[in-house]
Amino acid sequence: MWNFAQRRLSSPQAFRPRFALIAVAFCGLFLSAWPNGSTPVWAEEKLTVYSGRAERLIKPVLDSFTAKTGIRIDLLSSGTTELVNRLKVEGDRSPADLFITNDAGSLEMARTAGLLRPLSMREVDRAIPPQFRAADNSWIGLSGRFWIIVYNTTLVKPDQVKSLLDLANTEWKDKIAIPNSGSEYLQAGVSVIRASVGDERTKSFLQGLRDNAGNQVYQKSSQIVEAVAKGQVAIGIVNHYYVYRHLAAQPTAPLAVLMPDQHEGGMGAIMNVAGVGILKHTPRLDSAKLLVEFLVAQAGQKMFADLDKEYPLHTEVKADPALVERKSFRAAMVPLTKLAELREPTMLLIEQVGLR
Amino acid sequence: MTHLRLHAAFPLQLLVLASAALILLPLGYVTALALSADLAVWQRLWATRIPELLTNTVALAGTVALLTLLLGVSTAWVVTRFDFHGRRLWEVALVLPLAMPTYVLAYVYNYLLGFGGPVEHLWQTVAGPQARIFSPQSFWGATLVMALDTFPFVYLLTRSALLSLNVSFEEVARTCGASHVRTMLRVTLPLLRPSIVAGTALVVLYVVSDFGAVSLLRYQTLTYAVFQQMTGRSDNTAASILSILLVVLALLFLLAERWFRRKSRFYQTTGRYRAPQRAKCGWSKTAAFTVFLAAILGAAFGIPFYLLVQWSLSPEAQAILDTRFVGFVWNSALLSGLAATAGVLIGLPLAYLASRKPTWLNLGCLQAAYAGYVLPGPVAALAVLVLCLKLTPFFYGTAIVLVVAYVLHFLPAGLQSLEPALQQVTPNLEEAARTLGLGVQATWRRVTLPLIRNGFIAAWVLMFLQTMKELPATLLLRPVGFDTLAIRVWLEASEEYYQLAAPSALLIVLVGLPALALLLSRDWRAA
Repeated sequence: MWNFAQRRLSSPQAFRPRFALIAVAFCGLFLSAWPNGSTPVWAEEKLTVYSGRAERLIKPVLDSFTAKTGIRIDLLSSGTTELVNRLKVEGDRSPADLFITNDAGSLEMARTAGLLRPLSMREVDRAIPPQFRAADNSWIGLSGRFWIIVYNTTLVKPDQVKSLLDLANTEWKDKIAIPNSGSEYLQAGVSVIRASVGDERTKSFLQGLRDNAGNQVYQKSSQIVEAVAKGQVAIGIVNHYYVYRHLAAQPTAPLAVLMPDQHEGGMGAIMNVAGVGILKHTPRLDSAKLLVEFLVAQAGQKMFADLDKEYPLHTEVKADPALVERKSFRAAMVPLTKLAELREPTMLLIEQVGLR
Repeated sequence: MTHLRLHAAFPLQLLVLASAALILLPLGYVTALALSADLAVWQRLWATRIPELLTNTVALAGTVALLTLLLGVSTAWVVTRFDFHGRRLWEVALVLPLAMPTYVLAYVYNYLLGFGGPVEHLWQTVAGPQARIFSPQSFWGATLVMALDTFPFVYLLTRSALLSLNVSFEEVARTCGASHVRTMLRVTLPLLRPSIVAGTALVVLYVVSDFGAVSLLRYQTLTYAVFQQMTGRSDNTAASILSILLVVLALLFLLAERWFRRKSRFYQTTGRYRAPQRAKCGWSKTAAFTVFLAAILGAAFGIPFYLLVQWSLSPEAQAILDTRFVGFVWNSALLSGLAATAGVLIGLPLAYLASRKPTWLNLGCLQAAYAGYVLPGPVAALAVLVLCLKLTPFFYGTAIVLVVAYVLHFLPAGLQSLEPALQQVTPNLEEAARTLGLGVQATWRRVTLPLIRNGFIAAWVLMFLQTMKELPATLLLRPVGFDTLAIRVWLEASEEYYQLAAPSALLIVLVGLPALALLLSRDWRAA
């Protein structure tokens, strides 16, 4: 003990300057980590985007915007609901200029919370049909997606299923994969089903779905498609473009898409849109408008169609030919703006049933 | 002595109180939030999620504890009681799994044991084309991954206990006619019990608070559910209720462990101590031990590490090694450095006052700092988040909030190095320095700090390493453009882009290795 102490005592000076140096270095680091959301230096050349869409689906589009305009984009990819929560809290201090989501309901909630800025832009009015926008244009749909049934062609015949509601039947026990209850498009889908067939029917559907899926509850849609492709499960419920993206990468995968609920009296396929809104407080309105303009214009819309395999909302841009022809099926008659008000009771129902 | 230091101690005292408050306030606020929740929310959670989550969590922790017990004690026994070729190498290598974060191991096993993965192919060549193995995304998958990752805790503690065990006890038992097996069961293992329990306790706390592995293996535990509630709901009430349950569960367990250890305490009663002899092994035993140890280590470290290297060298992975990747590395280093520095600066006064002025207040503050033990990542994040929203909303979304959460979460790890370091410095030294004319500050700078330097550095490294691996709090609180390596691993791995996750994962493991070496060199008894 004493020896140890003496040895150390003989060189106390060695410790001091190094320690001071480290301390100074970290003070420097600390300052550099300080929030820089409203630094005026790059005011016009940088935009901050919060995105609830998977990074690999939206980053290429934003990158090509940067290439075209020279405006840099800071991207925060995270869960949509998480980001709405975050924006509400940050309020005017938020570094975000735009908000991109995978769900119209969340955009409408952001609008009612007063986070978004109404827009009047001729480019938007011309490109995107009014049913895919907020009434005051404070959010604008960019691309359409359908909640479809994906099945493994070696395990399922296409005439075995007609409706999403069929998946609650006991014959599908342990054969289906579903997204987890935190996923916004599951919530939106359940809202549409409630609005179409009522709460009681929806509840028994969810109970059947819960029992049939068992352990096969996934965080990411790409995992569901993967599980169906491998034959781990026979059927999955996902947004359509995950299937086509998988097929584009692996054309031989035994996957097929089934547009549900097209039969006589059926509710129609469940549609949702990914969209964008400009945040109310942004000091970089001009750049933000440029980005919106880019996203709704034909070039931007074509990227959603070609890269992401979504249905572009621009009336003159064609969807990828591999997709089911849009005119060949009908969508459920629930307006997108209603998704927000339907959500709270939907969440309650989902929790009552105990979906994971 | 005391009145001399009094005027210097007062600001220090304030600092300590402030630190304890910083730690306790968030926890208190979450508790308040949970308790003030509508009764209907509690009832709904009880009726739907809580029973499943509680049984899942307890079952996982229990099974992993049993399995680590088996793995840890048997490996420790082999390397301390037998002498065979390569023993020294194995002795060190068995701690390597500690450098592998659970989520990295989980993602590798997702591939290995996954549907249509290599292990299943292998099995199908033996058992026929339709044969299936158990899915890694299940109770058993999560158990396997967690056990392989955490058994070194039990191994380390059992090993050092076995090395310091007085072999006379066993010899007495043998002389009295007990067989080898009976001696082991009735004498040796009971003597090892305190160390084994301590190791298992570490394992259980680790499992209960793990987020990375269970989220990638889709196994529902309380910690995972807290994260899901926070990200999928627009208010944090349900998350806070689940958090409180989790904290209570961890506390109950910690108390049980303390009580159990107090009941079984053993002392060296005579001055006669003899270290155990290692039995020399022939080639057959050597081969058997080598196969046994290689199988465990291969599964826990060798194969995963090999796969990570292979994936990192693939063209897909090489393509992402650009400036963006460098940015992730920098973010990781920056956040970890900040958290470790802040943690050490906060921990030092806490530990110092508790050892020099052990009043109930100072000891209480120190105990409060250990609260991080029972605060899993998502809970720490939730606690800091709700309090930040209440008191200092302008800090929300900045790195500061994240650093506070890290400190809250990892301070116990740092304190465990700082506390013994300070206790080893006798106050006499400081008093001598004072009588020789040094001021209070000079004494600190020239006597105390140099003496505790090693503990100080170890604490810093430990906290740096833990922060680097941290996942849930970072996911929940990171500022814009602040993705870290851990986040990249999780994001890519959760979409099964194995190659893209590999470079980040490999880097985390590689950074962990020297840190592991440093920690081991402190109390490694090469015998």
